[in-house]
Amino acid sequence: MTSNIRYKSRIPVKTEDSIEEKQYVGFATLPNQVHRKSVKKGFDFTLMVAGESGMGKSTLVNSLFLTDLYKDRKLLNAEERINQTVEIIKHTVDIEEKGVKLKLTIVDTPGFGDAVNNNECWKPITDYIDQQFEQYFRDESGLNRKNIQDNRVHCCLYFIPPFGHGLRPVDVEFMKALHEKVNIIPLIAKADCLTPNEIKKLKDRIREEIDKFGIKVYQFPECDSDEDEEFKQLDKELKECTPFAVIGSNTVVEARGQRVRGRLYPWGIVEVENQSHCDFVKLRNMLIRSHMHDLKDVTCDVHYENYRAQCIQEMTSKLAQDNRMESPIPILPLSTPDVDTEKLIKMKDEELKRMQEMLNKMQQQMHDKEQ
Amino acid sequence: MSDIVPPEVRPKPAVPAKPPNVGAPSPSSPFPPQGLGVGGGGISAPPPSAIPVPTGSHGPIHGGSHSVGHGIGHSVSHAGSHTAPHSGGHSHSGSHSSSGGSTLLGYIGIDTIIEQMRKKTMKTGFDFNIMVVGHSGLGKSTLVNTLFKSQVSRRSAGWARDEKIPKTVEIKAVSHVIEEGGVKMKLTVVDTPGFGDQINNDNCWEPISKYINEQYEKFLKEEVNITRKKRIPDTRVHCCLYFISPTGHSLRQLDTEFMKRLSHSVNIIPVIAKADTLTIEERQEFKQRVRKELEMSGIEFYPQKEFDDDMEDKSDNDKIREAMPFAVVGSDKEYQVNGKRVLGRKTAWGIVEVENPNHCEFAQLRDFLIRSHLQDLKEVTHNIHYETYRAKRLNENGGLHPISSAETQESNL
Repeated sequence: MTSNIRYKSRIPVKTEDSIEEKQYVGFATLPNQVHRKSVKKGFDFTLMVAGESGMGKSTLVNSLFLTDLYKDRKLLNAEERINQTVEIIKHTVDIEEKGVKLKLTIVDTPGFGDAVNNNECWKPITDYIDQQFEQYFRDESGLNRKNIQDNRVHCCLYFIPPFGHGLRPVDVEFMKALHEKVNIIPLIAKADCLTPNEIKKLKDRIREEIDKFGIKVYQFPECDSDEDEEFKQLDKELKECTPFAVIGSNTVVEARGQRVRGRLYPWGIVEVENQSHCDFVKLRNMLIRSHMHDLKDVTCDVHYENYRAQCIQEMTSKLAQDNRMESPIPILPLSTPDVDTEKLIKMKDEELKRMQEMLNKMQQQMHDKEQ
Repeated sequence: MSDIVPPEVRPKPAVPAKPPNVGAPSPSSPFPPQGLGVGGGGISAPPPSAIPVPTGSHGPIHGGSHSVGHGIGHSVSHAGSHTAPHSGGHSHSGSHSSSGGSTLLGYIGIDTIIEQMRKKTMKTGFDFNIMVVGHSGLGKSTLVNTLFKSQVSRRSAGWARDEKIPKTVEIKAVSHVIEEGGVKMKLTVVDTPGFGDQINNDNCWEPISKYINEQYEKFLKEEVNITRKKRIPDTRVHCCLYFISPTGHSLRQLDTEFMKRLSHSVNIIPVIAKADTLTIEERQEFKQRVRKELEMSGIEFYPQKEFDDDMEDKSDNDKIREAMPFAVVGSDKEYQVNGKRVLGRKTAWGIVEVENPNHCEFAQLRDFLIRSHLQDLKEVTHNIHYETYRAKRLNENGGLHPISSAETQESNL
């Protein structure tokens, strides 16, 4: 994370010229202070994976975060899946790297696109995303905003099957239903069944269709003009490479004398982290190393704000209908609490804080024990 | 070449479905390409003039004389007693007696009937109709082209940029005549674009089911005619290749629904498409799971257990059933591997060879489909599926159109 702080912090230069020292105030260390505080607090990130079953979503998540989130998963067979509807399943894992803590939540959507009739199979997903927004909205508008849990979905990885000739109707409908609620990053799954030519054709075709249908996928922010050339070049390559063609693997194989994550075929070995084999490295870098914070920002500033504005508008229009009166301030459907309930709220808050501290302590103990 | 008997010429007794025992698929090396015609052993692109013009419908190319092979087989089986030896092998000489027959006191020459039939079949050729079903993009057209080593499917390499997914399932049949070793085959490939591609795929199997029944109906009507043609044009679907998406998990709902409904009206051969996306272990696990699911759903794919005649058949077919569904990769491009030119797919980590049994099971599928069970597929279609349809139709009240009077109808049947 430290490598990505692009602010240019000026270290005070000790020269003989004391005039310079006088002009140095010292607030250039603000980013460092922010950095230290955030590291103490830790980060959280919610990632949603969507796509038909068998696209390698779980394998890719395991490869991205080098964990095994799906240890005891039981795969359903066709008969058991007849009455299955789309579910939403959350897995949470705490990862720590170089002192930085990340609370990662993966939202899985089993059952999507698997039935014979997939009409509106994205509805449970949009409902879930809206629910998270609504919960955050209520918390934000509430009286006590110290311990708001941010469960909003920051990014949705959508897996497009490599077997088709582009986007299928279900892909288009899903992305159109979600592109204004969450950052969508389309991926081409299982890219090891395509030759380089086919990958290129498929990517071009998908990009064309995304434009044609007006789907707003997540756009990488433009580089600042004062970035160095190398960075700009990388950024340009990244943008031209979308949608990323990815491969995931849960196994480690021996290739060229090294042990790497890969897939062993009779005709060769596919290395997940080899840039000439697939775009996994680009995806990981983009998702984790350079754009994680931007994804969160866009979620907060754009998607959530859209939702909030829409919500408020609905409420005011409803009020206007009911009272035939223009009310400038949105009145929330929350009753104003009286003194007793206020005291109760305070008590509960303190209890919550104490419990959280206890939990942290316990986690720390367990962590120490493991070490 | 006289001792190589193409399997379909064997005189068939009136017992359905028995794969002819052709020792080893004798032409291990491809036939030398004969004069005109596409296919044969030539791997390189055929000269443009020899590419057969695809016919949109089933209009006979050779002036209606192409169903004789089948017709002969049919009529022979009704001709009653035949002393042709039932055992396998090509025993032409000597007085090998058939099962339970009287010992011959000299050589008569009855076994030359095989030679006579073969000559006739070679003159008239025969036809084969194969249907391919699966989601778009699973490599159906490429596989058919690879199987028959010619551009028989309506889509050659690549796809048009403005090809759209059709809103309903369409049925497109294209016929070609390919020739090999002097034997002409009229191959019809029935494609089903649009299957399983929509958001709501309810009843997307209905157009396919309707098409198959329509072909049976056509044949039935011809059969029931007073003056029927010498060779009834056979447009019935002999084989349906169902392409399973290689997810690695299990069959999808649509797969089981389709196969359940159609396994009783047509021979279904499931194949795992684009198998180069699975490692060998994943492939084995996937196949096992798929087989278990097919069994649990009661889906009988070809070769069906109930139609095995004898122990020999059963053991052969059991071996095949254990290996199904075949995991295949198709390709129409060639690359140089170890000094040989092979069909394959070239990726950054290696070349997948289509005909290498260590890479995928294409060679097994081809041998099974074309070199050993081709005639059997036709027979099961004719003797079992068609008969089932026919019986159902004739049991219906007022089933058939009054082409002939009621009495002649009965005498015909």
